[in-house]
Amino acid sequence: MNLRRTVAVAHKEVREIIRDRLFFSLAFIVPAVLMVLFGYGLSLDVEKLPLAIIDRDGTSMSREYAHRFIDSRYFDFKGYSFSERDLEQPITDNLIRAAIVIPEHFQKDLLQGRPAHIQTFIDGTFPFRALTAKGYAIAINAQITADSLASYLAQTSGMSVAEAAAVFQPVKLEVRYLFNQSLKSIWSLAPKLIMVILMISPPFLTALGVVREKETGSIYNIYASTLSRGEYLVGKSVPYIVISTLNVLFLWWMATGLFGAPFKGSFVFFLLSSVLYVTCTTGIGVVVSVLVRTQVAAMIGTAIFTMVPAVLYSGVLIPISSLSRSAKLVAYLLPGMYYTNIVMGTFLKGVGFSALWRDVLVLLIYAMLLFSIGYAFFRKRPNS
Amino acid sequence: MGETQVVAGCSHSVEADRIPAVIRVSALRKEYGKQSAIAGISLEVQKGEIYGLIGPDGAGKSSLMKIVAGVLTFDAGEIEVFGVSLNSDSNAERIKDRIGFMPQGLGLNLYPDLSIEENIDFFANLRLVQSSQLTARKQKLLEMTHLEAFRARPMKQLSGGMKQKLGLICSLIHEPKLLVLDEPTTGVDPVSRRDFWAILGVLLKEHGTTALVSTAYMDEATRFHRVALLFGGQVVAQGAPEEIQQLVPARIVAITIPSPAVALSRLRAEFPQIEALGSLLQVFVEDKAGLDARARVVRVLGDVKPARVETMDPQLEDVFIALLRIKKLTTEPDRTSTLPAAPVSNPTQPKTPYAIEAKELVRDFGGFKAVNKVSFRVAPGEIFGLLGANGAGKTTVIKMLTGILPPTAGSGSVAGADMQTAGRKIKERIGYMSQAFSLYLDLTVEENIKLYAGIYGLPASVARERFRWVVQMAGLEGRESKAAQSLPMGLRQRLALGCALVHRPQILFLDEPTSGVDPVGRRRFWEILFTLAREEGVAILVTTHYMNEAEHCDHLALMFAGRVVADASPSDMKSEVERQSGKLVEIDAVHTSAALDLLVKAGFKGSVLFGSRIHVFSKDVPGDTERIKAALSEDPARSILPRSLTMEDVFVERVMALEQAVETTKNGAVS
Repeated sequence: MNLRRTVAVAHKEVREIIRDRLFFSLAFIVPAVLMVLFGYGLSLDVEKLPLAIIDRDGTSMSREYAHRFIDSRYFDFKGYSFSERDLEQPITDNLIRAAIVIPEHFQKDLLQGRPAHIQTFIDGTFPFRALTAKGYAIAINAQITADSLASYLAQTSGMSVAEAAAVFQPVKLEVRYLFNQSLKSIWSLAPKLIMVILMISPPFLTALGVVREKETGSIYNIYASTLSRGEYLVGKSVPYIVISTLNVLFLWWMATGLFGAPFKGSFVFFLLSSVLYVTCTTGIGVVVSVLVRTQVAAMIGTAIFTMVPAVLYSGVLIPISSLSRSAKLVAYLLPGMYYTNIVMGTFLKGVGFSALWRDVLVLLIYAMLLFSIGYAFFRKRPNS
Repeated sequence: MGETQVVAGCSHSVEADRIPAVIRVSALRKEYGKQSAIAGISLEVQKGEIYGLIGPDGAGKSSLMKIVAGVLTFDAGEIEVFGVSLNSDSNAERIKDRIGFMPQGLGLNLYPDLSIEENIDFFANLRLVQSSQLTARKQKLLEMTHLEAFRARPMKQLSGGMKQKLGLICSLIHEPKLLVLDEPTTGVDPVSRRDFWAILGVLLKEHGTTALVSTAYMDEATRFHRVALLFGGQVVAQGAPEEIQQLVPARIVAITIPSPAVALSRLRAEFPQIEALGSLLQVFVEDKAGLDARARVVRVLGDVKPARVETMDPQLEDVFIALLRIKKLTTEPDRTSTLPAAPVSNPTQPKTPYAIEAKELVRDFGGFKAVNKVSFRVAPGEIFGLLGANGAGKTTVIKMLTGILPPTAGSGSVAGADMQTAGRKIKERIGYMSQAFSLYLDLTVEENIKLYAGIYGLPASVARERFRWVVQMAGLEGRESKAAQSLPMGLRQRLALGCALVHRPQILFLDEPTSGVDPVGRRRFWEILFTLAREEGVAILVTTHYMNEAEHCDHLALMFAGRVVADASPSDMKSEVERQSGKLVEIDAVHTSAALDLLVKAGFKGSVLFGSRIHVFSKDVPGDTERIKAALSEDPARSILPRSLTMEDVFVERVMALEQAVETTKNGAVS
């Protein structure tokens, strides 16, 4: 391998990326924009659900019941209403997503020991959100029921309220969430977004960079010269790996600085394995580019090979363990999942090489495989 | 003249026999899927030769050059370069250190965002040129090509001619032994082209470099030592240009005749190759022992008396067409005699003295004046040629006149309607055919024609009638249900013309209509244009970069940097140049570059290298011939003969004068 020729190719590539407006923004602006868009847009927390309450009872107990919902951080109380009909319009306009109806004689029924029925309406257009909201409503309702039972028992038996509560809940479930104590979804999402973005941008850049040369005909400068295939592939991909590494640093800063995700592991380990990962994804771009001829085909090819798997099969939305057998197979065949393990490990768990060496090894094999395929299929004397 | 040329040709091949061939190709075949690109080509290129591959698009030039450069595989046959058989990828690698390759497409292999110097440095680094050598070579090449002042300018901001020269520098920076240039002059104006050939000639001679160069322009054949005429993946003829000329010994008899129909039918019975350009018939008369070409034509004409009869030497293109005809290689179906008669249902057109009138048209793009005060007029029935290099503003003028682009200033009328206010009316009255032929390639011939009939809202009965007319005019009988894609270029082009004519416009705009079409197809196309103009009174505005097509126009406007710098008939333009600069004298010297130096020293400042010949303008031909002889007394030229001017000579002369004027005013402003 001749260093001067390799450097010449790399140097030329860097100049073109920096001077070409499209390539420049693809390289330096698009990753950050994606991070912001996904980071703020893909939040999986359901909070501040707009809520309306119809209180047909109007007693102190019904008001107290309503206040338990009004005070919850999961609901955003928009006001009292008098009839279901009044709610139709705000619900169709998406101003209200949940409503609670407290019936007449709510207090009377409770005081006389009869069960009271609360009706709840939840917007079901997004099943995920609806289920979560239902869970909140059930939890709040259960708490109210337990509290009222406890206070009733305390009144009748002379026990303190706390004692009475303990009688009703002999087994109390204490949940402590590990790694993400307050269960903020952005904490785990931001590191995974680094994986998604670095799965998308380096292959796009690389594939377009190579195929552009095929389209214009400047690839013939390479074909007709004494530059070897290896020199070309290395010279061509190193700039993209370096750019992607800069993006790793920037995205890391966004994840920890902008989105407040904790970073508990070794930064050096994170950085080195990230370089390996972007080498991998750059390799995907190399493989796509040797197989296609036009920039359009390159874009479609990389989109299919990277975007869909990165989002669906790498544990961003659905944990790998919850995937179906065949989907799991897909996940194991793609590099994204392994890097997800690495980012989750270094960001949230604070583990390092000893825990993650298998993932690093897979990425290494992956990178070598991709570049070998690229090398094998890149012909300096094609047949058309 | 003929005799001296034969001698010249022979002496070349004698020299060549002593040295082993640089390129040896035998029975080479290449297919792309089912499509055959090269169907058995054999040829040899000797050391130091400039070998030309000439032929229309699809002749197999590019494929052959790529195979020679080791950047394309082939399917059968053999090829050796520098004695290395290119039968494997690794063998192909062995020759690449000695090869410079410039692929097709003006400047497309260069890097638009890199400056001139960065582009050169990149190529030098790829080729591992030592930095001390690089500095010297770069300096020399940049000076020769007059690019020195633009070292830091990004390639994308260069003109076509500059890109082409930069491409040449980049492919020469490692001083290859073999240079492979694929259509380096396509799309470049004649001045830059001439410049390019001169530089190439000098550089190749200096290092004894061999070159394989392709071109789509027949008239560039004289630039080469030897040429191969390619057609349909086969070699139609090869040898020195003069030798090829001799393959079909003939004369062209040009007769001018006001109503040529009878004359044409009589002549066609006897002479298979006639170019009918309105009242001018150019008859290709093959030599027959003891018979005078002119006398034969006059005899065939019988009682039809032409207004004028002239005889001249055939161009290489005439010979090429004759060879294709003799070898039955042409893709053209047998010609229909003339244009089908147009029905009388001619839509009413407002009668105006001028079909097109442009008055002081200006178009600014940002701060750049693409078109600057352009005025001209085209009468009905006139073929008006708009000439100029790429970027001279031709297409912009057409876009303004057809109402696609509003002018910044100035006015114009087309078919009696004001182009600024009556855009729609204009579009109904004109036909427009673009460089890309504006056909839907996946549709059949019939569907294409009907689509255009529908676009122009023709009633069904008229549409049927026009469909038949187009099919007959374009010679598409029997191919109505073929996809446009499957047609040869020539037919495709005539189908596009038919689509542009479907609504019987009285004005036709043609933007480089013949790019990439083979000579036979091009001629047929021009014959149709002439019939349209002369018999149906259609006004035709055509742009072209084939200078020999410009000769066919009734009137020419020459555009340079957005302005019309000459506006006259071709013959007027020629006589104007002859009046200003003198007659053209062609010198066939034994040692061309040495002779050129001697001539410049002897005071012939305007001497230019034209292939293996030297061209000099002279106001006193007999006197100058003696002076040239005296200057070259030590090594006498093979021939010194006056030569008639071509439109290319006119174009070059005009533009060089203008460039000098620009230069002078600049320098004046500085000092």
